[in-house]
Amino acid sequence: MKKLNSIIAAFLVIVWMPTMGQTQKGSVLIKNATVLTVTQGTLEDTDILVENGIIKRIGKGLSANNVTTIDAKGKYVMPGIIDAHSHVALDAVNEATAPITSEVQMADVVDPYDIGLYRALAGGVTISHAMHGSANAIGGQNITLKHRYGTFDPEDLFMKEAPRTIKFALGENPTRVHGRGKNIQPRTRMGVEAVIRNGFNEALQYKKTWETYNSALKQKGATPIPPKYDERLQTLVDILDGKVIIHCHSYRADEIYALINTCRDFGITNIVFSHVNEGFKVAPELAEYTMGASVFADWWAYKFEVYYSTAYNAAILTENNVITSINSDSGELIRHLYHEAAKTQRYGQLSDDQALALITINPAKQLGISDKVGSIEEGKQADLVIFEGHPLSVYAIPQMTFVDGVKYFDINDDQDDMRLRVSANETVEPIFLKEHDHNCMHGVDFFFNNFGRSLFQHSH
Amino acid sequence: MKKFKSIIYLMALLLFPMIAQAQFDGEFIKPRNGKFLLQNATIVTVTKGTIQNGSVLIANGKIEAVGQNIPAGDAEVIDCTGQFIYPGMFDGGSRLGLVEVNSLPETQDFAEIGQVTPNMRALVAVNPNSVAIPVTRVSGVTTTLATPSGGLFPGTAALINLNGYTADQMAAGFEGVILNFPTSARRSTWDRRSEEDVKRDADRAQKNLNDIWERATKYHEMKTAKAELQFYPEMEQLAKVIAGELPLLVEVNAAGDIEVAIKWIKEKGVKAILTGVAEGWRVADKIAESGLPVITGPMLSIPTRQSDRFDAAYTNPGKMAKAGVKVVIRSNDAENTRNLPFNAGFAAAYGMGKEEALKAVTINAAEVFGVADRMGSIEAGKDATLFVSSGDPFETKTQIAHVFIDGYRVPMSNRHIKLYQEFLQRSPGLEK
Amino acid sequence: MKISTKIKLLSSLIVAAFFIANSQVQAQSDPSGNRRVTSSYAIKNATITTAPGNTIKGATILFKDGLIQAVGTNVNIPVGTDVINGDSLFIYPGFIDGASSAGVSRPADPERPANFDSSNPTDEQAGITPWRSVLDNLDMGNNAISDWRKAGFTIAQAIPDGGMIAGKSAIVIYGSGESTNILAQNTALSARFRGSRGMYPGTPLGVMAKFRDVYKNAELSSTHTRLFASNSGLNRPEINKTYQAMFPVLDKNIPVIFEVSNDLEIRRALRLQKELGFKIVLSGVTEVENVISEIKASNATVLLALTLPEDKTKAKEDATDEYVARTARVKEAYEKALKQAALLEKEGIKFGFTTSGAKTGDMMKNIKIMMDNGLSENAALASLTVNNAQNLGIQKFAGTLEKGKLANMVVMTAPIFTEDSQVKHVIADGYVYDYEVKPKRAANGNGNKNGGNPSGSSVLAGTWEYVSDTPAGSSGGLMKIEGSGSNLKGTITFDDPAGNGTAQADMKDIKLVDGNLSFTFDVSAGGMDLNVDVKGDITDDKFTGRMSLGNFGSFPLNATKKPNNSNF
Repeated sequence: MKKLNSIIAAFLVIVWMPTMGQTQKGSVLIKNATVLTVTQGTLEDTDILVENGIIKRIGKGLSANNVTTIDAKGKYVMPGIIDAHSHVALDAVNEATAPITSEVQMADVVDPYDIGLYRALAGGVTISHAMHGSANAIGGQNITLKHRYGTFDPEDLFMKEAPRTIKFALGENPTRVHGRGKNIQPRTRMGVEAVIRNGFNEALQYKKTWETYNSALKQKGATPIPPKYDERLQTLVDILDGKVIIHCHSYRADEIYALINTCRDFGITNIVFSHVNEGFKVAPELAEYTMGASVFADWWAYKFEVYYSTAYNAAILTENNVITSINSDSGELIRHLYHEAAKTQRYGQLSDDQALALITINPAKQLGISDKVGSIEEGKQADLVIFEGHPLSVYAIPQMTFVDGVKYFDINDDQDDMRLRVSANETVEPIFLKEHDHNCMHGVDFFFNNFGRSLFQHSH
Repeated sequence: MKKFKSIIYLMALLLFPMIAQAQFDGEFIKPRNGKFLLQNATIVTVTKGTIQNGSVLIANGKIEAVGQNIPAGDAEVIDCTGQFIYPGMFDGGSRLGLVEVNSLPETQDFAEIGQVTPNMRALVAVNPNSVAIPVTRVSGVTTTLATPSGGLFPGTAALINLNGYTADQMAAGFEGVILNFPTSARRSTWDRRSEEDVKRDADRAQKNLNDIWERATKYHEMKTAKAELQFYPEMEQLAKVIAGELPLLVEVNAAGDIEVAIKWIKEKGVKAILTGVAEGWRVADKIAESGLPVITGPMLSIPTRQSDRFDAAYTNPGKMAKAGVKVVIRSNDAENTRNLPFNAGFAAAYGMGKEEALKAVTINAAEVFGVADRMGSIEAGKDATLFVSSGDPFETKTQIAHVFIDGYRVPMSNRHIKLYQEFLQRSPGLEK
Repeated sequence: MKISTKIKLLSSLIVAAFFIANSQVQAQSDPSGNRRVTSSYAIKNATITTAPGNTIKGATILFKDGLIQAVGTNVNIPVGTDVINGDSLFIYPGFIDGASSAGVSRPADPERPANFDSSNPTDEQAGITPWRSVLDNLDMGNNAISDWRKAGFTIAQAIPDGGMIAGKSAIVIYGSGESTNILAQNTALSARFRGSRGMYPGTPLGVMAKFRDVYKNAELSSTHTRLFASNSGLNRPEINKTYQAMFPVLDKNIPVIFEVSNDLEIRRALRLQKELGFKIVLSGVTEVENVISEIKASNATVLLALTLPEDKTKAKEDATDEYVARTARVKEAYEKALKQAALLEKEGIKFGFTTSGAKTGDMMKNIKIMMDNGLSENAALASLTVNNAQNLGIQKFAGTLEKGKLANMVVMTAPIFTEDSQVKHVIADGYVYDYEVKPKRAANGNGNKNGGNPSGSSVLAGTWEYVSDTPAGSSGGLMKIEGSGSNLKGTITFDDPAGNGTAQADMKDIKLVDGNLSFTFDVSAGGMDLNVDVKGDITDDKFTGRMSLGNFGSFPLNATKKPNNSNF
C-alpha cells in the first residue's frame, strides 16, 4: 500500500508541475498570525488578504469569498526573504575569459529546473539575485528572479519589474584569474582599479561616437557611416547613465574605498558592495556614497583577503546607517538566511526589526525593488512566508512560502522528491558528498583554484 | 660645543623609540586559573538534571562542588543571576588549528601527501595561537576533534581543548586513526562516471583497503611474536588500531557504503566510530543494530541527493538518535567551528529535540571519546570546562558571558570582538 | 525572400547538375573493369511507395543517368536497361539526412602565439569561422558515409565541425566517387553553444553575447558596404570575412542551423532568433514538450535525432519504496523521450530526422520504438524523405519517387519498419549499391560496433585531437600514439594549468581491450601532482570517454583521429 502511494505521489508531482507555467497570481487569506511587517512593526493576531498576487488588506477579522483561508494562529508571517547575491538556477556562472564582460547576461543561462530554487523556497526565499561570478573586474549583467518554481520557461522566473544590475569584482579573484592565471591585467588592486576606470573612459568615447552618428543621421542628405556596435561598452554607458545598479564583489577596505572614488569621479551613485568583509572599516563612506553593503553573517578566513574580518560586520554597518543586507552566495546558505540574519543578534545584538530588514527590505532597496516587495504592506506583491516559531530563532521552521500569492512550498503537503526533471538514463541516482556548487567562483575553481590548490570549502 | 649638542641630539633620537616602546595602552587580559564560584545560576548538568539557583565551585582546574548554597570561601565570586551554566561543547570533527587561511597552501596542515599516512598526527600540527581558536571558544565550544583529511588513511585525529600554548597543554586525552572508507558515491556534481565505472572503482578501492589491512594485520602479528621487522611507520600506527590501542574513525556517508563499512568493521573486529554518515537516516536501524556510535555533521548542508527532501540533512541526527544510535555532532568546519551550536539547534528543531541535541555535543561526545570520567557534564570531580550564558546556547541571540577551560577563565575577546570595538564608531569618521 | 533562396539554390544546383552530366560522358576506358555497363536501370514488379501514403503494387521504376524516367504499372523498359527483378521487394524514396556529421572532420585549431591574449582572440581562434565550408573538411569516401548509405540515406546536409559558428553546410548526394556529389553549397550557417577552450567566449554566456555581437556588427558592416557602394566621399569599409560570411544570414537567404542538446538550449537559440530575426533550424531537439509552443511560434525547422535513451529501469523483487518511486520517475522520463516524434507529429510540425550522434545499427530500431509510441508510419517515412526535402529546399528534385526526380531510393526485402525488413539495394544518384541480405537477422543486434576493427591497435596509432568539457569551459590538445598491441606509447598535450601555453606528458598504461581504451598521465599544477585517468570507447576514428581527476571529478573527453593522409 505504501508502495502504491509513493507511485501515485510521484505521478501526481509529474502531472501537477506543467500546469504551474506562466506567471501565476494567487489569492489567499491568512488568518490570526503574528505579522512581522518589517517596516511597520509587529502586528499580533492579524489577517492578511491577498488578491491576485497583491496584498490587498492587513487587519483583524478580514474575510473573503472563494479564497483559500489559512489559519496561522500561533505562527509568524514575514515578507518573502530576498537574497541579494546568489548563483542558484544558473547553467553557467563565470565567463572568466576577459577582465570586462559587461555584455554577457545571466538571463541567457537561467535554469528553471535547479532544485536549488525549491530548497530556497523551503527556507522562505522568494527572490534571488542571480549573479555573474567574480572572476572579472567587470562581470556580466545579473537577473533578479522570483522563485516561481515549477515552470519550464526561464523567463517566467524573471522579475520583470526589477531594474538592470551588473556584477563587478575586486581583489583576489580577478587578479588571480587574469593576472596570475593568464598573465594579462589586472594582477594587482592597482590594475583592477585601472581596468574599471579605463572601461568607463572608453565607454564615454563610445557614447560620443554614437551620439555623433545619430545626430548626423538626422541631417538631410548626410550619409554617416555607422560605428562598430559594442554591447560591452554600451552596458558601461548605461551604468554611467544610471540605468544599471552595480553589485560589486569586494573584501578589503582599500579596494572598496578606491571604487567608491572611481564611482564618484564618474557620477555613479547606484552601487552596492557585496561580501564586503572589511566594509565595517569604511562604514561611514559606504553610508554616505553608496546603496550599501550585502554581507555574509560570519564567513571569514577562507582566503587571505577575508582574514581580518569580523562577524560583527553587519551590526557595525547597520549602526553606521549603511543599508545592509545578508546574502548567501551559496546553494546551502540560501536555505537558512533567516538564521544568518539572526546571527547579528549574537554578534552585535541587533533588534528583531533590524535583523529582519537585513534579508527583506534592505536587499529589496539594493535591488531597486523596495516599492514592490521586502515588507508586508498593502499594495505590495504578496511574497510571504509562514513560520512555526519566530524566524530569528534557531528552532524556526518555515511552513509555507508564497510568491505573488501562489503557494510554492508547503512543508506538510509537498512530496519529498520535488525535481522537475529526471534523467532517463539514471536509475542509480548520484550521491553528491561535496557541496557549495553555487558560488562566485563556480566553474573557475577547477582551473584557477582547485586545480592543484585548495580542494576544500569556500572560495567566494 | 656644537659637536656636543649634536651628540646629545643624536642620543635623544636613539633613545626616543625605546621610550615610546615602553608605553602601552590598556592591559592584556590572559587566561587565568584560580578558585571561582559561579553563583546563582540555572545549572544544566546534562547528566544530573537542572539545578535552579545553583552554584559551581571551580578550583585546581576541577569542578569542586555543584549545588545550592555553596560557600564562597576564598574563591572569586562571579554572579550569574539569571544566567545558565552548561558543560563545554564538543565539536566531533573540525580542522580548527590545522589551517589558518583556507586558500593558502602554506597554512594548510591537515592533508599530507600519500594515501596511507595514519602516522600523521594532528596533535603535533595544531597551532595553539591560531586566530580562530579564541574566535571559537567564546561560543562555548571548548573542545574539538582536530581532524586530518585526504587519502585513505589520512592520519590520526586528536581531541583538543581550546586553551593552552603547547600541544600537551591542549591535548584532551583522545586520539583515533581516520579511515576514509571507499565510496560508491559520486564525488561532486562534476563526477559523471558511468554507474559501472563507479562500481568498478569502488570495488578496486575496497580491495586496496583490504590488502593494506592484511599487511597491517601481518605486521601486528609478527611484531607481537617479537619478529625483527624493518621499521614501517604506517603499519606501526595501524597495528595500534588492530591491537585495540587506538580506535578507528571510519568516514563514510552514502547509505550503501555505511552498510558495507559496518560489515567490514565487524569482520575486522576493530573498535570503530562512524563519522560523516550523511545518509545515516536511510539505514538508521542497521547502524543502531551494529552498536557503533556516530559523529555526524554538519546539519547545515544540502541533501546528498537531488530527490531527497529539502531537510534531509537537518533531520538526519534526529532520525538516527530515534533509532537508538549514539549520536555526536560535528561542524566539519575550521574557522567557523563556532557554528557547532547552531548545527545542534537545527538538529533539535528538526526532530532530535533540545535535550538529545545537547547530549550530542556534550556527554555523548565525552563517552564516545572515552573521556566521560573527566568531561561532558557538570559534575563534581570533572574538569572545569564549562560556560555561562544568557540562555540556551543553541539559540542564535544568546550571549555567552564566561568560558572556563580546564579551570582557566579565558578572556571573552578575540580579533572579531576587537575589530567591533575599534570600528563601531570609527575615529576619524567620514571627515578627518 | 523565399523566391531569392530558391533562385540561389537552383543556380548552385545547375552547376552541380552540369558536373554530374559531364562525368557521365567522360570515362571511356576503365582498366579496372569496375565501371558499370549502363546507367539505365529498371526495377520490375515491386511494391513502390512513391511518397508517404502512396503505394503502388506490382509497379516498375525506370531510371537513367540518375533521373527517374517512369514509375507505374505500365512502364516500357527500353533495350540497354539493366533490369532488376523486384518481386517481393519494396521501394521507398531515398532517405534525406537533415544534418549529418558523417565524413566531416574538425579543422585543426590555429596555434596560439606565445603572447596569446585569451581575452581577445581572433575569430578563427575563438571558433568563429562562418566563411568556412564544410566541403573543405568533408571526406566523401569516409566509411561513415557508406554506412549511412547502407542504412538508406542518399542525400544529406553536411554540417561543419568546429566552434560556436563553425561555417557553412552543404547538401551532398551519396553517389559514386566519379562525381563531386555536391548538390548545393553554403546552404545554412552552423552554430552551436560551444565555448572556446581557455579564451573568450568560453561558456554559453559568452557564446550568446558573441553571437549577438557578430550578428549586429555584420548588419552595420553591410550598411556601410551599401553606403560606400552608392556614395562617394566615404571611408572605405573594412572588409571582414566573418561579417561578409554572415550577409546571406542577414538577408535570410540561408538559415542558421543550431545544434541543441536540451530544451534550455532550444530556448537560447530561439531567444537569439527572436531578437535578431534570422531563419532558424533546430537540430537534435529533445524535451520538446517543455517548449513546443515557442517552437511553433518561431516557425523553426525542426530536426529530431535518431537516438533514444536506454531503458535502465529494472523491476526488483526486493525493491524499497524509495527505489520504486525513483525508478517510476526515470521510467516516465524515458517514455517521454520515446514520445518526442509522436508529439511533434501531433503538433503539426513537419520535422525531419538528423543522423547526428546516432548509430546506423540503432536507426530502424529507434524509429520503430517511436512508432510504438505514437508516431505514424507515414510521418516516420516523411521525416526521412519529403519533410527534409522541403526543409532543405530540394523538394523539386528529391524526396519522392516521380518522373523527373533524382534516382534516389531504398529497396527493401519487406515493408519498411516491419520486423524483418532489410535493405537490399540503395540507389543513390542513379548508382545501384547492392547489400547482402542475411537470411535471418541475428537475434539481437548486440555489440553493434559499426564494422571496423575495434580491438586492433592499428586503428590507435596516429594523432588524435581531443576536447574535454570541464566546468571551466572546454580544453583540449593532441594525443600522439605509436606502436601496437601491448607495446603502445604516446604523449598527450594539454593547456598548461600554470598559465599560458601547452604542456605535454607521457601517456602511461595505454591499454586497448575490445574497443576500450584506457591510459593515465600526470599533470603537475601548483606544486601538486595529479594523476589523470582516461577511459572510453573507440569506434573507428572516434574516441568517447571520460577523464577522472582524482577528487576533482570526472569530465567527458572525446577525441577524433586525424586522417593519416588526406583523402582528397
